Amino acid sequence: MNEVDLDDLREELLQCRRCGICREAVYDLKGFEGICPIWRNTSGFEPSFMRGKIQIAIALLDGVLERTSENAEALYQCTLCGNCTQICGAEFHPAHVIETVRGILEEIPNEARDRLAASISTNDNPYQEEASVKREWVKEMEFDIPTEGDTLYFTGCTASLRMQETAKNTARILHAVGEDFFVMENEPCCGSVLLRTGKQEVARTNAERAAKAIKESGAKKIIVSCAGCMKTLKKDFAELFDLDLPEIVHIVQYAAQLIEEQKIPLKNIETKKVTYHDPCHIGRELGIYDEPRKVIDGIPGLELVEMNPNRSAAICCGAGGGLRSYDPDLSKRIAADRVKVAEGTGAEIIITACPFCETNLNSGADLINSSVRTVDIVDLLAGSIKAQE
Amino acid sequence: MKKEIIERISAIVGEEYISTRKDVLLTYASSASMAKEPVMPGAVVRPANATEISEILKIANEYKIDTTVRSGGTSLQGEVIPKPDGLVVELMRLKDIKLFKDLRSVRVGAGVTYGELDKFLSEHGLWVPITPESALACTIAGNTAVNGAGPGSSLFGCTGDLILGVEVVLPNSEIIQTGSETNPNAPGPFLRYAFGPDLTGLFIGSLGSLGVITSVSLKVFKRMEYFDYNTYGFDTPEQAERFLIEIRQWDVNAVFASIYEGPVLELFMEMLGDEYGIPPMEWPHRTVSMTIGRVRKDMLESDAKKAQELCKECGGWVLGVKELPRGEWNERLWTFVRASYVHGWHWRTLYHHQTPVNIHRSVEEITKVMDKYGFLGHTAGFFTDHASANMYPHLYFDPTDQEDEQKIVDAHDELAVTLYKTGAVPFKLAPFWKDKMEGTEKYMEFLKKIKDTIDPNGIMNRGVLGGI
Repeated sequence: MNEVDLDDLREELLQCRRCGICREAVYDLKGFEGICPIWRNTSGFEPSFMRGKIQIAIALLDGVLERTSENAEALYQCTLCGNCTQICGAEFHPAHVIETVRGILEEIPNEARDRLAASISTNDNPYQEEASVKREWVKEMEFDIPTEGDTLYFTGCTASLRMQETAKNTARILHAVGEDFFVMENEPCCGSVLLRTGKQEVARTNAERAAKAIKESGAKKIIVSCAGCMKTLKKDFAELFDLDLPEIVHIVQYAAQLIEEQKIPLKNIETKKVTYHDPCHIGRELGIYDEPRKVIDGIPGLELVEMNPNRSAAICCGAGGGLRSYDPDLSKRIAADRVKVAEGTGAEIIITACPFCETNLNSGADLINSSVRTVDIVDLLAGSIKAQE
Repeated sequence: MKKEIIERISAIVGEEYISTRKDVLLTYASSASMAKEPVMPGAVVRPANATEISEILKIANEYKIDTTVRSGGTSLQGEVIPKPDGLVVELMRLKDIKLFKDLRSVRVGAGVTYGELDKFLSEHGLWVPITPESALACTIAGNTAVNGAGPGSSLFGCTGDLILGVEVVLPNSEIIQTGSETNPNAPGPFLRYAFGPDLTGLFIGSLGSLGVITSVSLKVFKRMEYFDYNTYGFDTPEQAERFLIEIRQWDVNAVFASIYEGPVLELFMEMLGDEYGIPPMEWPHRTVSMTIGRVRKDMLESDAKKAQELCKECGGWVLGVKELPRGEWNERLWTFVRASYVHGWHWRTLYHHQTPVNIHRSVEEITKVMDKYGFLGHTAGFFTDHASANMYPHLYFDPTDQEDEQKIVDAHDELAVTLYKTGAVPFKLAPFWKDKMEGTEKYMEFLKKIKDTIDPNGIMNRGVLGGI
């Protein structure tokens, strides 16, 4: 990451004219049904939404507010989902700016952030698991997965350590279509959470190490199943660290193209009404909205009903930006809020394309005893492929 | 603020909804207004209903606490800047909406924004036809307190013209209802001018000085589906101004009619032209951008034809650039944001009303101060109802340059004096107008008597309503 120019940063923060549209704008014409999930799920004082966060960021940088954990709470109580950016008329990206400010104010104590960073530095994952455990899921597969090749399936920490079915089903899809892929022996962490929580220097070191490892693996193409990994590897590595990686595609992009080319013959699965939750990292950050819907449309038996809001105005699942570690209760309340919207559509399940969203939405469903469960898109796609074998 | 006060208010609203944290207070020290320095309050409270507000005001009176009421925090003229160590009462939790379909009215809580209400009403084929330009963030109650205007005002007037009644917590903590709903047996809001004098009007434009508006009852209308968008060019201001009068005289349903000076429109188009799909062009000395709206197509066609005839009779010509009014109208809920941001600077404003035939006087006075002080700015205006035009001068400054900002403060001060002398009137009696309105002494004295009577301890937004 380039050195941050504080004057430039301040100028960006001053782009906010405090209009307050980032709180709860309901703008039917453009599909907005509220903006900030934090505002909705807290006591709702100004620091909960972006207008207040910007004011606090300026005050902390200028020394008007003392740099304490309490005064900086608003900066960390944010999923960085970027929905405020979608409605904001100013020429800046509030969520990205807050991410930068977190980095500048790294001196402010934040136990959750430091715990995650320490774990990534030590174990190559934020879950405090031994690095060697990361490839354990491969042993349970019904086919061999090599450690070298041209196409790398970059599993990601969450899928490999917490949501192994996502990893397995992604592998099954790739295997079924004859993709000759491999999974690294020692897959590095992409460092997404380091960047989001303001550990930019650690993130840089991590990214350089990860890029080197990927390069040394010989991969010519990378497939990911995690939205966070996708955004970090594809966008942040290049834009923040000037690191080149081979072509990166998310499994939904990969699958959508194959479905379009009719290269995956899919058969009926149990008929279900489903809705799709857009992960912020591949949605608002990368504009991947159509591909997952093409995949859902391509699976016979699924009927897609949209949540309102959706796509670029979708409300976050609550897990992002380090919030699930920083304030787990709030994170789950936000997820529960999103599950309620899904319930309103009559959908039986929520489909998403990010293991972190899946985890949190299911936590939210548990919180409100909802029967609507969230599954990864690869689970259904793999099920449909399996049915025709 | 004293601990015992916080504890007592906390007992009313719950600990969750009161804060004295410095980071929280800082965010209530300012609003969207760039025209006032931030002032740190002592506490912020987010009550849920009028009863809680009433209890809070009892305590505020007991301790003589300066109290500032705020909802969306979008006001632009410093109306909700608190007093040092004062209490901010934030109303965004009051979210009730109740439609009275047969009465053609709706009652909304003080935390309901125009965006929320518009969506709710559109599901019934209805609307509140005036949309202030901060519509996605501002509330109906807040806009009532400042008597705002915006797209739709050219036909329906200011926000106040739609109001049928308000529920208000008076500074002495009593809760009153005005309009037909004063009768508890009434089926809902259907008449404003009930029970004698127009007490509803007392609170419209009161800038939070005379009480806390906790709900607003207002007229709703069948949503218009047919629109005609057009632009009309004129060589002189007088021709354009006459056109606006004729439009009204002939009952052409102009829901939004803006009048632009050529260079101002060029500036706007530099910013928004691409977005609206308008190629660069030389704009006439004056352009009227107009949206005509009707619920019936035949009426629209008749109006559109008449507008073109009137334009020619006034010496103008039909420009035919439809993208400008279409953009203004269709994006009206978002216009404020665009207008606030596209130029990249901060700005002060000085809202006022002129008669249509006097619009050019505002332009002249603003041009004079721009030349004298050397800053970027402009003004434009739109027709509002019977025979007035809402003018919104923008005076731009660089917030990182104190000298530049001071220049704007001085120019702003001077402008209040010169505009007033042209015959303009402030419809938002912001403190900037204090001591600049020669001949209004008796009026202001009377207003002060009212204020002193209903707020004997002077706790409500002291000094804001024209300095009272």
